[in-house]
Amino acid sequence: MAERDSVTDRAGEWVYSGVWRVLSNRFNVPETPPTLPCEPGETPDAFKPTRGFLGYMKLEFLIGMTVVSVAIFIGWAVLLIALWWAGLLVMIPAAVLVVVLWVVGYLALHLKYDTTWYVMTDRSLRIRRGIWVIREMTFTFENVQNVKVRQGPLQRMFGVSDLLVETAGAGSDPNGKGGPALNQGVVQGVADAWALRDRVLVKLKASQTAGFGDDLAASTQMVQGAAGGWSTEHVEALRLIRDELGTMTRPG
Amino acid sequence: MPENPQTPPFDPATTTRPIGALLRYYTIVSLMTVIGFPFVFLPMYFKYRSLRYKFDDQGVSMSWGILFKREVYLTYRRIQDIHVSRGIIQRWLGLATVSVQTASGSAGAEMSIEGIGNPEGLRDYLYSRMRGSKEEPKTNEAGQQEGTLAGADQGASDEALVLLNEILGQVKALREDRDSGEVADG
Repeated sequence: MAERDSVTDRAGEWVYSGVWRVLSNRFNVPETPPTLPCEPGETPDAFKPTRGFLGYMKLEFLIGMTVVSVAIFIGWAVLLIALWWAGLLVMIPAAVLVVVLWVVGYLALHLKYDTTWYVMTDRSLRIRRGIWVIREMTFTFENVQNVKVRQGPLQRMFGVSDLLVETAGAGSDPNGKGGPALNQGVVQGVADAWALRDRVLVKLKASQTAGFGDDLAASTQMVQGAAGGWSTEHVEALRLIRDELGTMTRPG
Repeated sequence: MPENPQTPPFDPATTTRPIGALLRYYTIVSLMTVIGFPFVFLPMYFKYRSLRYKFDDQGVSMSWGILFKREVYLTYRRIQDIHVSRGIIQRWLGLATVSVQTASGSAGAEMSIEGIGNPEGLRDYLYSRMRGSKEEPKTNEAGQQEGTLAGADQGASDEALVLLNEILGQVKALREDRDSGEVADG
């Protein structure tokens, strides 16, 4: 049994790496993580979803495909009862369709996992995903308006959670399918979205502006404005005046 | 296209027209609609013919249209996020759609830049000029206006400082007057 498992594993790996080679050579799917410009001396932190996310996707796929397969089987059974010759005629194509759906879906799931990349630097987050259409989005933390964390019960079972960062851009889903909006960066399936959220929050709180492309003057004034817009020299002059007045009013 | 770590820099001054590959892309896309080809291809062809980009040191302008003209201008500093999307055909032709969003509320990206031969270079160019990509108070090329603003602010503060120093001098003089008066009295 173990022997057979390793053979199928090896066959699976062989098929999978072959598919990858075709995608990479013929369809220009990048194999390396995206790059992100950063300060000299800093290395961008590139990471992928955790392995648990793969398991989570597989369970979702299993449930979804079981429903689809049962639906196809019921449809075929109804056809067989109503018109037995038509039922026999579509039996082979229907079976092939189900098998192809399972195989292609399973492959696509692994490919989705392998093509999802997140890169974080001190200043920004870049997300890249996709096989047919490769989407890459870049958000700077200066412009991020809020961060969200979400985790469903199934995700909790697999120990994965999602982090969403949102900017003030309001673009809806480019595909019009209720997917993530353009202004949303979804870091899907990480082991601890809360820890990642805290890392982003440190940067959000350090930012002095509202994130709408505020002018430099406004932001620097805010930074200096600890004593209500006065510089240290002003405060020093005020202190001297107070001391002078103090020596005047003090009874000699 | 494998991600090239050494992306050649994007040259904003010479980029005014989309490259020819964009017309090829438009042709393939409209051919895929089969019977819709003339209706899909003509507007795309006119868009390709009339598409102009102008990258200046503050922002980028994109204009197109022959009958219905459009022009979009946005400043680099107001860019909220940058999206690069490339379908299979775009990848084969070395193209990509670079979409940028500002904080205005329109659905979809405010500007979708197509037909740039070096999309990764363009992405890096825009990234280096948007907010938060580098330390804020440091120098930036888009800082002429901000520089004068900050200068005016500095001037106003200096005026306040001069006034404060005058007040300080007067208070000092007052005290010395009073001190000498006290000495004379005592």
